[in-house]
Amino acid sequence: MRLIPKEIETLWTLFTAPVVWVVHFLACYVGAAIYCAKPELIGLSFSAVRAGIAAVTVIALSLIALSAWLAWRQWGFGTDDPPHDDPTRRDRTLFQGFATLLLSGLSFIAVIFTAMPALFLTGCIR
Amino acid sequence: MGQYFSLSAASLLLASGFAGARSVLEPAGAEAQQIAILFWVMLSGGAVIWLGVVALLLHSALFNRRRLAEQSASRIILWGGVVFPAVTLCALLAYALWLMPALRPFAQASSAALRIEVTGRQFWWEVVYRPSRGPPVASANEIRLPVGERVELTLKSADVIHSFWIPPLGGKMDMIPGRTNRLSLMATKSGIFRGPCAEYCGTSHALMAFSAVAMEPEAFRSWLAAQAIPAEGAGASGGALFLRHGCGSCHFVAGTDARGLIGPDLSHVGSRTTVGAGILPNTEDAVARFIARPDLIKPGSRMPAFDMLPPGDIRAIAAWLRGLQ
Amino acid sequence: MSAAIKERSREEYKAQEERLRAVWANPAGWRYWTSVNNFQIGLWYGSAAFAFMLFAGVLALLMRLQLAVPDNDFLSAEFFNQAFTLHGTVMMFLFAVPIFEAVAIFLLPPMLGAREMPFPRLGAFSFWSFFLGGVFVCGSIFFNAAPSAGWFMYPPLATDKEFSGIGADIWLLGLSFIEVASIAAAVELIVGIMKCRAPGMRINLMPLFAWYLLIVAGMILFAFPPLIAGDLLFEMERMFDWPFFDAARGGDPLLWQHLFWIFGHPEVYIIFLPAIALMAMIVPTFSQRPIVGYSWIVLAAVGTGFLSFGLWVHHMFATGLPQISLAFFSAASEAVAIPTGVQIFVFIATMLAGRVIFSTPMLFGAGGLAIFVIGGLTGVMVALAPFDWQAHDTYFVVAHLHYVLIGGMLFPVVAGLYYYYPLINAKKLSDRLGRLAFWLMFCGFNIAFFPMHLSGLRGMPRRVFTYPAEIGWDWLNLISTAGAFIFAAGVLVVVFDVLRPKHREPRGELNPWNAGTLEWISEPEEDWGVRSIPIVRSRYPLWDQKDLARKVNEGRYYLPDAEEGRREGLVTSVLDAEPIQVLRVGGTSNVTIVSALSLGAAFIALTFHWWIATALAAIICFCAVIYWLWTGTGEIPEKPEKDVGLGLSLPLYASGPDSVGWWAMFITMVGDGTAFASLVFGYFFYWTIHADFTAGIAGPDAVWSLVAAFLFAAAWGLMMAARMFNRRRATAAMRGLLVLSLLTAVAASATGLAAPWSPGMDPTRHVYPAIVWILVIWVLAHAALGTVMQAYCLARSLAGRLTPKHDVDLSNVVLYWHFLLVTAVITFAIIGLFPAAM
Repeated sequence: MRLIPKEIETLWTLFTAPVVWVVHFLACYVGAAIYCAKPELIGLSFSAVRAGIAAVTVIALSLIALSAWLAWRQWGFGTDDPPHDDPTRRDRTLFQGFATLLLSGLSFIAVIFTAMPALFLTGCIR
Repeated sequence: MGQYFSLSAASLLLASGFAGARSVLEPAGAEAQQIAILFWVMLSGGAVIWLGVVALLLHSALFNRRRLAEQSASRIILWGGVVFPAVTLCALLAYALWLMPALRPFAQASSAALRIEVTGRQFWWEVVYRPSRGPPVASANEIRLPVGERVELTLKSADVIHSFWIPPLGGKMDMIPGRTNRLSLMATKSGIFRGPCAEYCGTSHALMAFSAVAMEPEAFRSWLAAQAIPAEGAGASGGALFLRHGCGSCHFVAGTDARGLIGPDLSHVGSRTTVGAGILPNTEDAVARFIARPDLIKPGSRMPAFDMLPPGDIRAIAAWLRGLQ
Repeated sequence: MSAAIKERSREEYKAQEERLRAVWANPAGWRYWTSVNNFQIGLWYGSAAFAFMLFAGVLALLMRLQLAVPDNDFLSAEFFNQAFTLHGTVMMFLFAVPIFEAVAIFLLPPMLGAREMPFPRLGAFSFWSFFLGGVFVCGSIFFNAAPSAGWFMYPPLATDKEFSGIGADIWLLGLSFIEVASIAAAVELIVGIMKCRAPGMRINLMPLFAWYLLIVAGMILFAFPPLIAGDLLFEMERMFDWPFFDAARGGDPLLWQHLFWIFGHPEVYIIFLPAIALMAMIVPTFSQRPIVGYSWIVLAAVGTGFLSFGLWVHHMFATGLPQISLAFFSAASEAVAIPTGVQIFVFIATMLAGRVIFSTPMLFGAGGLAIFVIGGLTGVMVALAPFDWQAHDTYFVVAHLHYVLIGGMLFPVVAGLYYYYPLINAKKLSDRLGRLAFWLMFCGFNIAFFPMHLSGLRGMPRRVFTYPAEIGWDWLNLISTAGAFIFAAGVLVVVFDVLRPKHREPRGELNPWNAGTLEWISEPEEDWGVRSIPIVRSRYPLWDQKDLARKVNEGRYYLPDAEEGRREGLVTSVLDAEPIQVLRVGGTSNVTIVSALSLGAAFIALTFHWWIATALAAIICFCAVIYWLWTGTGEIPEKPEKDVGLGLSLPLYASGPDSVGWWAMFITMVGDGTAFASLVFGYFFYWTIHADFTAGIAGPDAVWSLVAAFLFAAAWGLMMAARMFNRRRATAAMRGLLVLSLLTAVAASATGLAAPWSPGMDPTRHVYPAIVWILVIWVLAHAALGTVMQAYCLARSLAGRLTPKHDVDLSNVVLYWHFLLVTAVITFAIIGLFPAAM
């Protein structure tokens, strides 16, 4: 995994997992909305939509898991406990890792929540 | 507690004989029944959670004298702030998602025995019954439905957004210009319920309501059959005045020359529980007052005032309308 | 290092202090109002927002009086509808959002150990815009011209001239103006928090308030632009009859609802997070320990910020969208409860791990939380589509939203007022009055709003000006009215406590609560913020860094002097806050007021369709802004570097991503891009709702469109070349390329115009030509602005204010052109190719 440097010197990594959630959410919503508005466009049944949602969910969860793993690594695999409030570059990095890990957890749950409708709804009923 | 309050309100209504406002917690329809159960589940869970959180808050702020170690305090955040809500909310969400398709099954146009088209207008409701057999029946400001049968409502708007809602029967559905929404309801108990407009629609939004009458199927069918033929009418002089003063250019009365389509259909107005779109009791007096000064009773109403007519004429018209049973 | 400081004579120290004081002094007399100091702007901003809140509160009391008994005729239907529209509008746009901007502008610089916000004049501009727009919108009710279509302004009720009058225009233009002010504030906050922290304040040491505000400012950037795009469509329909929301000509009222609520739901969290941020400062102070779960708060703030954008359709559960669409939003609405719960448990954990001093701010905070939790729980209920079908648009929701906003925002803000008041004049508010106010507000609130849950379940819809007697809502409403007045009495006590003269009271301590964060060392009597900019080594520097306050006030840290008579602060790096530049910020100036007033005048004149006055005001505003930029930005310093103290020398000039101006441009353009994306969303929205969304109308010419896209790309390429040649000291080539790029941009615009023009698309005929035209107009307006910027760079170069080494103007303009390129290419690709592809 040397492709991705261990200590990424940017604030943006913090937002990786939530951004995955956003993309997943939009994919589910926009996909279903377009299907329900123009079913003839795709010409598949609703179960294809559900399968699509399942697929993007698996992808999203994997990406979040990857982000969580990277964050966990940045956090030193939990060898150090919070609060990470020393005025050092090391503690700052640990803090980023830990916060990113937490956000990955939240995003993971949120992606699962977002995917749940596909389990229960079987058509474009209004 | 809510149930008690609602029941006392209901008894008040029965006493007044007015189209009743029944709480969503006294369901008389299939959808409202399920939602009421959902509500009670959430309320009891919510009450326990609230008490727990507030007790913890008070304890930590006022009575706690033991400084908790940082690690154990963090565990409180993890369990109280993440694990517990995530699990609870997941279960609740699953419950609600499972309910959704069951509550509003896709009523195929062909399968529903009765379709009712309701069109919202500032500030009244145009209603057309389309039974699977028999001619369509036009009405206004009152919805009658048979108990125990699924009815499909087709909801439209002629001007701005309105929202159709009968609290004890089920949830609401907006009526949006350019769109046709559908709602399927099944009454499980007979009764008279008040249905307010639930989307702000202008000056007299507050004065836009209808009465929903859930009837036994037999009674409903004979009522519908009676509505399909013109009313007998009483005191023909009122009818003549009605036409002479031009009321017929806006209102439709079956079997007469009144063929207007701008205002509510008055063919059987005498048989309705309320007049003025759910805001006045259906008495001769109220009808006369409405004819004289609709702008006072319903600001923003499009009907012009007729108080320049001799009071006797207004009385006669009101009496005739009341007679259109 | 300290040896040198010790040697410094007492006189020298005094002289330093005098210079610093003179540089940061507020102007006297009426010129006081031209001040741009963050302290003054924050105070005015906050006072104005509070005054608007009281005004909207009075409207609420009038409404409660009307609803106290059934069939009441205390207010007319027309007035009541204006009152509830203004109540919602004012509370949301003129109180809840601005009050946090006020608190942020007031608190952030001292909290971050900075002297000022990075763009003080922008802050002043933002305040004056807000104030003017607010007075305009509020004043309308005295002329019976207030908007009356609800704060959500649903078309067609609000767009169709048959149903609504000038009030709708007042709402739209007055608030567009305020939205611009909010985005200006967001730019200021993001740059301030990312780039202007005291040296050493790494992101893991940043006060939580700053974390929250950073997230909130980011949310504003993505939430407000969709509303601005919606406003644009809305006003085009009202003014020029473009049928965006007119169903008869292919429009759809639901598009407005989408755009409004994409703004409207994040808005709730934009209001809520800063208030909780105040709690995150108050709770550690009174628990006498650092917060437990600092990272958890960051998680909660960031998580809420993101999730709040996936909730908007829960305001549209009853519009008849497919159930699966509703379900996604139910799911996200449930998920957002998790980060919210985390925040509450962070406070509980911190209190459990500390020893709590139960003060008035804590009382308001705890009371607010108890209320807020009820609002949160009912929020979980209404987030479920089936229950919302019943509760939607009833008093149940009125109760829910007031529990959320008053418990989650107003109570914490009052807590913050009691906590931070000593920063204004080193005196505390009265504990006794505070407690009295709390109990009145707490009891009054619950008496007023708890019964509303029940009236809602009993079928009472929102926004009704009256109700009949027989249906069982009467005594519930009477109780609510009584509660509302008790609540108002509590608010009055707070107002009295704030306004009562306190000059007899002795000056209090500097840090009366023994708090740990930096804002408590700034002296209210001084305008300089901090005497010298400290080095921070802790989350709670006043607790952990001994003698910090003394050393700061003795001028022993950075920038203790103002030798050149300029207002100066430090720019530091984003992650580790290493000092990288000395930033000279603008001082007192009239130009902010002139530009805000002329912009306001332009908007107001537009409301009344006074075209000439509009044009005149717009020209004045344009000139004022150019003057502002020309004299106040991109200035070439008299020397490249400056000694900032402690043996450190820093550059005075920065360009590209190192400069705060580049960041401001980037952030603004992100917001701008969001507005553009909203318009594109509109285009595809119309495509989904119609079988043939072109309605058989000939679309823009594909060739013209592609040529336009190509020419915009060429103009962009020339700009890139101009920047490169400038850096290589080829000034003449750079000027030539600028001119060439400008001409290409003009040609590109003309071609772009031809695309919808040549097939004769009439925007009033159908929504398809209208949405195409609005996209093209959006690009052309941006291109026009882009050419102005090019001309500006050329002028700067000719005037010697833009040189090969000092190219901040050019690099910012190139950044603008990156965004313009993307906008233009997307637009012309879509309008030219998409209809054919379908």
